[in-house]
Amino acid sequence: MKRWLVGFAALLLTLALVACGGGDGAEGNKDSGTGEGEQINLDFWVFGSTGYDKLIEEYQEANPNVTITLNEGEMEDMHNNLFTSISAGSGAPDIAMVEVSQIAKFMQAKDRFQNLNDYGAEEVADNFLDWKWQQAQSVDGSFQLGLPTDIGPTTMFYRTDVIEAAGLPTDPEGLAAEIDSWDAYYEAAKKIKDTTGKPIADSPELVFNAIRDQQPQQYFNEDNELIIEDTVKGAYDFTTKMVKEGLVGQNPLWTPEWGSAMGDGSYATMPGAPAWMIGVVKGNAPDAGGNWSLTTIPEGAGNWGGSFLTIPESDYPQEAFDFISWLTAPEQQLKSFNDMGLFPSAPAVFEAEEFLNTTDEYFSGAPTAKIFAEAAQTVTPVYMGINYAMVNNELVTALTNVAVEGADPQAEWDAAVERIEQQLERQ
Amino acid sequence: MGQNPSQATQAPKKSPLSEKKKEALSAYLYVSPFFILFAIFGLFPILFSFYLGFQKWNGLGEMEFVGLQNFKWVLTDPLFWKSLYNTLIMWVLGTLPQLLVGIVLAYALNSTLIKAKSFFRVSIFMPYVTSTVAVAIVFGIMFNDQDYGLFNILLGLFGIDPMSWSTSEWGLKVAISTMVFWRWIGYNTIIYLAGLQAIPNELYEAAQIDGATIRQKIQYITIPMLRPIIILTVFTSTIGALQLFTEPLIYIGRTFREEGITVVLYLYREAFVNLAFGPASASAIVLFFIILILSGINVLVANRIGR
Amino acid sequence: MSQTSQKNNVLIGKTFIYVLLGAASFLSIFPLYWMFVMATNHNSAINSIPPAMLPGNQLVTNFTNVLNTIDFFGAMWNSLVVSTVITIGVLFFCSLAGFAFAKFQFKGKNFLFVFILVTMMIPPQLGLIPQYFIITKLDWLNDLKAIIIPGLIDAFGIFWMRQYISSNVPDELVEAARIDGCSNFRIYWNIAVPVIIPAFATLAIIKFMYVWNDFLWPLVVLREESSQTIQVALRGLIDAYVRDNGMILSGTFWATVPLIVVFLLLNKMFIASLTEGAVK
Repeated sequence: MKRWLVGFAALLLTLALVACGGGDGAEGNKDSGTGEGEQINLDFWVFGSTGYDKLIEEYQEANPNVTITLNEGEMEDMHNNLFTSISAGSGAPDIAMVEVSQIAKFMQAKDRFQNLNDYGAEEVADNFLDWKWQQAQSVDGSFQLGLPTDIGPTTMFYRTDVIEAAGLPTDPEGLAAEIDSWDAYYEAAKKIKDTTGKPIADSPELVFNAIRDQQPQQYFNEDNELIIEDTVKGAYDFTTKMVKEGLVGQNPLWTPEWGSAMGDGSYATMPGAPAWMIGVVKGNAPDAGGNWSLTTIPEGAGNWGGSFLTIPESDYPQEAFDFISWLTAPEQQLKSFNDMGLFPSAPAVFEAEEFLNTTDEYFSGAPTAKIFAEAAQTVTPVYMGINYAMVNNELVTALTNVAVEGADPQAEWDAAVERIEQQLERQ
Repeated sequence: MGQNPSQATQAPKKSPLSEKKKEALSAYLYVSPFFILFAIFGLFPILFSFYLGFQKWNGLGEMEFVGLQNFKWVLTDPLFWKSLYNTLIMWVLGTLPQLLVGIVLAYALNSTLIKAKSFFRVSIFMPYVTSTVAVAIVFGIMFNDQDYGLFNILLGLFGIDPMSWSTSEWGLKVAISTMVFWRWIGYNTIIYLAGLQAIPNELYEAAQIDGATIRQKIQYITIPMLRPIIILTVFTSTIGALQLFTEPLIYIGRTFREEGITVVLYLYREAFVNLAFGPASASAIVLFFIILILSGINVLVANRIGR
Repeated sequence: MSQTSQKNNVLIGKTFIYVLLGAASFLSIFPLYWMFVMATNHNSAINSIPPAMLPGNQLVTNFTNVLNTIDFFGAMWNSLVVSTVITIGVLFFCSLAGFAFAKFQFKGKNFLFVFILVTMMIPPQLGLIPQYFIITKLDWLNDLKAIIIPGLIDAFGIFWMRQYISSNVPDELVEAARIDGCSNFRIYWNIAVPVIIPAFATLAIIKFMYVWNDFLWPLVVLREESSQTIQVALRGLIDAYVRDNGMILSGTFWATVPLIVVFLLLNKMFIASLTEGAVK
């Protein structure tokens, strides 16, 4: 009788010990005192490749009492974890990076974030592009959720070899002059198809996104009413028309075949490509240097992507703010651009001569910084709303059905609208 | 729990605390860890889900009581029924065949006729040690929509045009079912094999002496002896199939295409993508009752096998 | 029945079984082999026409890329700790509970057992937020305890053990031991446990694999790299923008190899325990 008791107790004890042993490392850096000249720990969540680790080292050297723990995750996972933490009311980091399409969602819970205006955000507002600044602001402007990091002004990437084979000008200015409207883009597509047999773009989504991102209003208006019929239906119709005529391919974004097609020159252009797409193209097609170039997109640039730094819950909001305002200051943004290609949201950077002279050999020596900077100046702010991702997902489904399954565009559009309305109804 | 051991240690010597009482006390003690842990980590989330089924909540703001509204939405949503239909089809395509093939493989592996059993056993169980994530990636590449995808090349050998697996009605179902089947067949085989090996050889030997045929041996010894194991696999695989989630999440988690969405994927999307926790909870509750009913039917049917 | 026709029957049966098992083995192993092929090839070879079918020369490069991206060995260690502790705990608790359900009489037995079965039917995904909430209240975030302690709840394990014990441990044996004055735990330990070793081996494999492969819950509660399990770490290889399948599959392949080794070892034990039973 006693033996089993001992056994039972021993097992429980072992479990407890092993379990505790695993936790030591994690608990060590959480507790920090509250005395003067104390050591301050800040948790910092980011996604993607930011290259912030180098900048953090620099900051820590200048501020020896601050330690910043950088945590890099996959974009979706990081936002989901932030959401879970905010929802449950604990576990969020001191500083979290939030992507622009997610910002409206977290704005709903703004009482669980620090209002950056309380720590001096208004003083640095002038550093940033107005439209970018407004995206992380409550409608009445009193609450500032985040400080801008990078932006994604859109341009058009193109394969010089395919463009040349089609008899179109291969230099950025010449091509921009040739394709100066979407009608001209359509004409060029026919020409490319006739001469090379290749589509002008491989992904319907990119063509659609390119035109969508040029609209001042997209899926929702400020009253959260669905307005896609008036705003992006034209983009949808244009895209599906080109798909039906075989002028645009059928690769969905982010698939392996989409990635590998960047290296094989099977299409001519990548419209609506933002600055961060440079890294994507280089990563997927490391050997295609010199075959790519980029130029201005017809009918004006839009913005796709870019992020903000927010302060969800922190014992040291002022210190956290000091750090992020340093990190997003023009000097540091320039470093991020040179290091990882994050395009700055601070106009002071684009005005610098040195910056504007940046060229990229991979992109056939095109003045990349200058083209993006011009694009950035023309972007107008867009209200995205909390259901942006859901609507986008349904529209992409419709586009895929048209491109891959050969479905009827209007029927697919109607079906997508119905699905969207069904989901909106229940929130 | 603190007092049980002390009572138990007091009990030993000729106390009139009957054997029966002692037995019951030990039994409660032995099953208590499950219930204690469940009370802490399982009960609250479940009660919370049931509560949420009657609320409107986006995960961030205030909750609002809406009565049966969420259930009405879910039950009138064609996509919910579509997801249920998909789940059942994938159950038929991916899970049911596992049980049949699993028994056959286990029987073959248990045969005294062959050598190299160890090799066969290990290779058939190998898929089970592969993580679901790896399975979804590898099969995702095999089920590539392009002409050079492995399964499309295979189709080509039979003169069939390449398929767009990740977007078509049956392509998605077949792809996901194949992943499920491949990964879990070894699991079912191992369970059946454990059951088969627990059957004493003397029974077969006795039957052999009595001149029983193989069929008779299977019918009168194997199946009845396996019955508890068959009930177990039918029961758990039904639950597993109706809660199918990881494979479709990794394969179509970006698009949530309706051709491949399962019930749990549907409720996951409602909750974590659309932030509609009310309808998500309502669909979880509906699914719970569906599982309850189907498991009941299943166990009834399985109970008849080998009777 | 003549001798020769019986021999022929055996031969046909033999051939049939060999063909069946051969085909099953091939289909089981091929995707794993292909995973290895991709883990040793450059990304471009995987996406080319026709795809690579033979191992390439990128084995070291791909794996070096994995090591540069994630803390592979640290995550493997965490997974090992979590899976082992849960497996041992579950074997003990579930066999004890299963034994009680199979061989003891007590009030509310059927109700409690059905209750356990019903808990299996509740889709767990929705419980993420409240469960996370409990973990933060316990201050177990980024702590392996957050995986281990809830992981000890295993309705299936109890169900499995009960089924196995009720059909393989004879009631007479339990009764006889009781008459000899054995305590209840003694009966469990000395009579039931030796008989159910094969069930232990099976449940151990199942549970170990389950914990090892789980990723949704660890992803939510293990945010710091130092505490992450291998499945969470492997997520870090999948960059949505630039997919290096060679590197991803290198990570998943090398994370699978130790499991195959563990399985081979357990398989030996599995057979040993069976032959031992047969001798008796």
